[in-house]
Amino acid sequence: MNVRSEIGVGLGHLARWGLRTVFRRNASQLPGRIALTVDPDIISRLAKKLQKGSIVVCGTNGKTTTNNIIASAIEAGGQRVLCNRAGANMAPGVVAALLPGSGADWGVIEADELSTVNIVPELKPKLLILLNLFRDQLDREGEIDRVQDTIVRALASSPETTLLVCGDDPISMGVARRAAEAGTKALSFGIAEDLHLPPERVPEGAFCQVCGTELVYDYRAYAQLGAFRCPKCGFARPTLDYQATNVHAGRSGVEFDAACIATGDQVHLRANFGGVYMVYNLLAAFAAATMAGVDPKTFQRALDSYSPENGRLQHFDVDGREVVLNLAKNPAGFNQNIQLLLEDKRPKATYIVINDNYNDGRDISWIWDVDFERLAGEGKSLLVLAGGLRANDLQVRFKYAGIDAQIAKDVSAALEAAKDMPKDQPLYVLTNYSALWPAKAELERMGKRHE
Amino acid sequence: MNSAEATSAPKTDAPTLTIAHLYPELLNLYGDSGNILVLKKRMEWRGITADVREVHVGDTPSFADVDIVFIGGGSDREQKIVCDFLLQQKDELKAYVEDGGVLGAVCGGYQLLGESYLMGEERVPGLELVDLYTDRGTPRIIGNIAIRSDICEHPIVGYENHGGRTHLGSGVKPLGEVLYGQGNDGITGFEGCLWKNVLGTYIHGPLLPKNPGVADWFISRALERKYGKGAIAIEPLDDTKELAANKVMFDRMLASRKQED
Repeated sequence: MNVRSEIGVGLGHLARWGLRTVFRRNASQLPGRIALTVDPDIISRLAKKLQKGSIVVCGTNGKTTTNNIIASAIEAGGQRVLCNRAGANMAPGVVAALLPGSGADWGVIEADELSTVNIVPELKPKLLILLNLFRDQLDREGEIDRVQDTIVRALASSPETTLLVCGDDPISMGVARRAAEAGTKALSFGIAEDLHLPPERVPEGAFCQVCGTELVYDYRAYAQLGAFRCPKCGFARPTLDYQATNVHAGRSGVEFDAACIATGDQVHLRANFGGVYMVYNLLAAFAAATMAGVDPKTFQRALDSYSPENGRLQHFDVDGREVVLNLAKNPAGFNQNIQLLLEDKRPKATYIVINDNYNDGRDISWIWDVDFERLAGEGKSLLVLAGGLRANDLQVRFKYAGIDAQIAKDVSAALEAAKDMPKDQPLYVLTNYSALWPAKAELERMGKRHE
Repeated sequence: MNSAEATSAPKTDAPTLTIAHLYPELLNLYGDSGNILVLKKRMEWRGITADVREVHVGDTPSFADVDIVFIGGGSDREQKIVCDFLLQQKDELKAYVEDGGVLGAVCGGYQLLGESYLMGEERVPGLELVDLYTDRGTPRIIGNIAIRSDICEHPIVGYENHGGRTHLGSGVKPLGEVLYGQGNDGITGFEGCLWKNVLGTYIHGPLLPKNPGVADWFISRALERKYGKGAIAIEPLDDTKELAANKVMFDRMLASRKQED
């Protein structure tokens, strides 16, 4: 390292120490920001600390969970990992994650899609995982086309990186196709069977990425993910390198057989969380962990002990009532959450919270693309409450979905509104990004972890 | 048929409006399905039958028995796919508009109404339904917007996100005057267009849920065209929730405008 970067690293460490020790704050961003200011190339220098290399995870939905499972699995296999577990996924967050300690075997890094172009060329990871691409944060990210272009550019400047892409997602495959043409090695993963699920509204990706013809599907898993093909030009789901079959996905968790086609290995995996979307996350995590030398038994052990601390599908017990907290920040995520909620056959309440802070996206027009109509079918066995800075918009959305929703200002108020419900009936709290942490803090204060 | 059956049969004389939603699978970037849902519900709540027809790529629609045409916005890529198909309907749509047909166009759809618009550096011909054209400017205009319009009592609030700058011909009225945000071009202080029974606007968010007066403008224009002036009164609805949501955003914009002053 040169003097400049030593100073950068030193100041970063100092800021981290100060934040944690003096101010007792989580040091997920600021130290990285300071270090980056002093040394703009600091990521590529810090990458040298990683003896075996790095894995980067991007995609609209599921990247924090997938990233953390990969990190846990590699650690369970006895290797040292640096990871941005809290989900600070732009360049400063990556720097902050790579600062601690003198070295590690692997960097396991979550990257915001538009930040991949700042992170991948510097880090030159062994593997970039692209989980999926959905419409999200239209005001900040622009259109999906722009996100695709950015990831293609990121890969072009790191030719040794292999792309592990969701083969079921035509939008992600649009990226893979262009990257492969430029010489990137691509591997794909997906669900290789029809799950016979009720069809969902598909707000994007219905048309061929190459020629614009409407895609046809043999079957779909959710949103635009499935066995797609273009009837005109041949753009289609590829032969999957990693396949999930015998899939069972529900409220109580998922299990499936994960197969690597190249080696012929097949293992049975299970987790006590998630829905169909989690099958994709776990399959991608399994593929990445395997490439990092983790054996299947160790991976399963890591899944068994994995317990989300970040508000993703966290269960709490508040005075005897089960409260489930999850992040949902775009139509694809919400529709998956609605599916999970409907699989819970108990009468219940749901508190849906939407903010429009910068991190959330200021434009919330996407709430009209969520299938809230499916909740209307529950009638009196579902109490719906709206919250957040855009509670009134949600209330209107619910009205037109045929649901009479009251506004509750926070989780306590939502629990209060549900107080006449028997205690064995749960409350589902679904929030978008900036509403997640306050809800989580409130639940941690009021309740205990639900086992 | 006995009299009991006669009374339980649906009333065949109930007013009916047909909505043609153009290319919903492509022009749906900003929750545009919400606009159709709001029109449909507000008709049904008043005993008006709503017949929603989706026009898909490859269809050759007739607008002869259509009462409201709606065009949403898409991404550049999707809008380009749509453009060729839409231009094939140009004469049909032109005749519909000249005949007083009611048409709503939001965001990208608004740009399609004019003589041409720019996609990147390429000038793409539009439908020439309204005397307007669109070029580009920087920066992209992104943010909340509020306007005052003659067509309804409440301010129209929503979100705008466009690189295009739209210029109205001298005979074309704007939809309203910008109170917060940028509007058509960020310069004239006007937003949207009104021409015959055509309403075009950059305001999505989407447009109709928080602006019930705009939704009712479409419905009453369509009723008047189909059944004659004053033939069917448009009954007021309880818009407490809609107007509360409108007010929250309008007050927020007003407060931040004061801060900027």
